[in-house]
Amino acid sequence: MKLHKKILTHFLSCTSPVDKEGYLYKKKERNATYYRRWFVLKANLLFYQERPADRHLLGVIVLEGCKVQMLESDGFFPFSLEFGPGLKTYRFAAGDAQTQGCWVKALFLASHCYLSCLLRDLERQYEGAKQQQGSSDSRSSIKSLNPPINSLLVPTLGPLAVVREGRSFSASAALPPHPLPTKVAAKKSPKKWQKRNAYVTPLNGPAPLYGEWPLVGSDPLVEFSKLHDYYGQEVQKAREAWLRSRRTEEDHSEKDLIDLG
Amino acid sequence: MRFNEKELVCLSRQPSEMAAELGMRGPKKGDVVKRRLVKLVVNFLFYFRTDEEEPVGALLLEQCRVEREDTQTFSIAFLDDAERKYLFECDSEEQCKEWIDSIIKASYEFMRRNLIFYRTEIHRLTGKDPLEQYGISDETRFQVNSGSQLMARDTSSL
Repeated sequence: MKLHKKILTHFLSCTSPVDKEGYLYKKKERNATYYRRWFVLKANLLFYQERPADRHLLGVIVLEGCKVQMLESDGFFPFSLEFGPGLKTYRFAAGDAQTQGCWVKALFLASHCYLSCLLRDLERQYEGAKQQQGSSDSRSSIKSLNPPINSLLVPTLGPLAVVREGRSFSASAALPPHPLPTKVAAKKSPKKWQKRNAYVTPLNGPAPLYGEWPLVGSDPLVEFSKLHDYYGQEVQKAREAWLRSRRTEEDHSEKDLIDLG
Repeated sequence: MRFNEKELVCLSRQPSEMAAELGMRGPKKGDVVKRRLVKLVVNFLFYFRTDEEEPVGALLLEQCRVEREDTQTFSIAFLDDAERKYLFECDSEEQCKEWIDSIIKASYEFMRRNLIFYRTEIHRLTGKDPLEQYGISDETRFQVNSGSQLMARDTSSL
């Protein structure tokens, strides 16, 4: 199958936001060695090259239908992208638990599928908020919407606030004057809208093969909450690992290799 | 440049509402119209020979311009080159409109902009950031920003 690579490299080099970039180790399947690579995450694509300044791209990974997996290991910080039986598993390692956690979270949030679910949820909240505002009852304007579903919470990693990676998205040309999706969605039945985006990575195992994907009728919000639940646990483990390593560091009073200020 | 081909082929076989046999013509001079099964999956447009299971190719639908060419034909231009377009011939005006609409809306960047719009509006209407409840309000991916800020690259770990 031909992947039109110029389109991808053009997308990489254009002004749309970079979601995350940094060095990671990538395991080469053939000789089981880890090589340091510079990774750039943009939308649902993960590009990699030897160094940031390189023009030559080594490769790209399309992040759809994969499960991001935090792996446990003493002394180094591995994680993987699993595409399922018969398909690839990419293995990576970070230099520390914080970086590991940041990348796992970023990769989990990267898929088109995730954005699609989140967007649908926000659309629903927006419609609800508009209705409440339009209501003649003054009390209802401050009334809260449906309470947040606890299983949708992604636990925050404490140290995340310290090191911000990637560039913030500039919305200067971005805000549409009208809520475009809602206008069109009103003409289509909700079921039809769901059909188009019914690609949800299942949780109990790696992404299934063709024919096993959840089909029409599955509620993406239920899958979404399960997804968050599952990965929330993974992220929680990472946090605990980071806290443990932190305590060890404090005991040893080691100076940081790089002063984060 | 390497890519996860097998996995992308697997993606191309997922169910899609936007899948139809269209007349497709490449952007180069001399390219002719060929019948292809064209299928929209996430932000990729896959095209197959009508009797084959593996796609001939995959087009990433980002940074592209989708246009109506005539009543039943639309085009997609990539690489900011308005002259080099892929042409798609549909069976009806309605089908043509539906494809144009779907392709535009499938773009990740388009969806991201809408998400930011909803985030801003919900915050304005309710005083709450809807991403906070999911623990993702700080993700650079979903930021609303008036100017670009260059963040430090993460070289600390290695």
